Amino acid sequence: MTASRIASAVAGVLTALLIQASLLGPLTFPVPVSLPALLVIVVGIYAGPGIGMGLGFATGLLADLGSEHPAGVQALCWLAAGLAAGMLGGLATQRGYGTRGVAALAALLGAATSGVLGLMLAILGSHAATAVLACKFLIPVGLTDALLGLAVVPLVRNLLRAQGIRSPRPVGRLIGSVDALG
Amino acid sequence: MRRLTRRQQLAAVVLAVLALLFISLDFAGGSLGGARGGTTGALGSLYRGTDSVLGPVRRFVQGVPDVGGNRREIARLAQRNAELQRQLAAAAADAATARQLRALQLQADTADWRLMPARVIATGPGAGFQWSVTLDVGSREHVQVGQTVTDGLGLVGRVVAVYGTTSVVLLAADPTSGVGVRDVRSGALLLATGTGSGPLAATALEDRVDVKVGDRVTTGPAGKTTYAAGVAVGVVSSVHTWPDGRVTARLRPVTRQAGLDLVGIILQQPRGTARSALEPASGSNR
Repeated sequence: MTASRIASAVAGVLTALLIQASLLGPLTFPVPVSLPALLVIVVGIYAGPGIGMGLGFATGLLADLGSEHPAGVQALCWLAAGLAAGMLGGLATQRGYGTRGVAALAALLGAATSGVLGLMLAILGSHAATAVLACKFLIPVGLTDALLGLAVVPLVRNLLRAQGIRSPRPVGRLIGSVDALG
Repeated sequence: MRRLTRRQQLAAVVLAVLALLFISLDFAGGSLGGARGGTTGALGSLYRGTDSVLGPVRRFVQGVPDVGGNRREIARLAQRNAELQRQLAAAAADAATARQLRALQLQADTADWRLMPARVIATGPGAGFQWSVTLDVGSREHVQVGQTVTDGLGLVGRVVAVYGTTSVVLLAADPTSGVGVRDVRSGALLLATGTGSGPLAATALEDRVDVKVGDRVTTGPAGKTTYAAGVAVGVVSSVHTWPDGRVTARLRPVTRQAGLDLVGIILQQPRGTARSALEPASGSNR
């Protein structure tokens, strides 16, 4: 992992957290839409399960420590989301899903993540979280995530393709020469 | 579907265990308090900075759904405000009317007059005169031409035309109006004429009469003028004695001719009582 990729990931996560707290959270209240979670999922879809789960864990832990609920809950949920997105994303990229297809997949995963997070918080007795609320907001979260995905998916895709952020490609090593055969 | 490598599987398990460990630590008690405080503080600073940029956008978007409701609310409040303003104005008008009625009543009581309250319903040129007002009472209320009109404090004018339900009053301020007046202090008789919005111009009926600045002037005396006697007209503000002995004066009216609202028409003046002859005081020396 290069320094530029780490810097890009930190910048992306911080930006998503700030937009979530300053703009998206207040605007979509009480629907628990999460831009950082969506970002983790989309990155996982394009970059694979390894990066997805790592980014999910780090972003979730940061969000946990900045929140009032027990630390580690979002880290665990978004770790799982990044992992699942990375595994399912292979299918999407193999079939050549466009922006809308990837956004729909991300929305499904985002809604599921939101539901699981709500259930976990309800089990842990955190604040006013209940299982009913967790299920009630599944569809609104999915729809909002789908809309957000239309903007996030191309952004993440182009960033990951950008020179310097792109993952290093395997380089073939010369193990012999024609002269040696002769 | 992508498959996890062994390293990824191991990493996933380690991270999940770490996450569960964090949850356990947090539940056990403030082990993560420092980390939480630092993160919250750092994020809080960033939130404040971000809010200065995104806050206006958020407030704008949050206000969009309420635009229609706000307009309705504003319209409702504006209507309510207008209603309250109207009530306030009506209350003020009622208070002014009550004050004027009290003044008229007081004048009627002290002078023993029958006064017909009337409201000014029109002002301006009317019936061929320049300074006149139209009242909402007429012959139906027994108003007659020539009757004196007062506002409770002083002279307003005289009725010059009467119709069924209205009457026209020539104000004392009209340049064609002439009022016979008397200096209360010296008893000097003068003829006061209007000058429009300025003070009344008075000319003494006799030469070298005693008129001083500050003297009060009333209508009268009875029988010498068409106006009811004893109605306050004004206060002498300047006196000029001409070389030929003629005396002229300026009178500051006691009544504001502009903005008249409630006035009283003097319908009937006291007929007076039988007078007794003056007798010499008992025991007086000749």
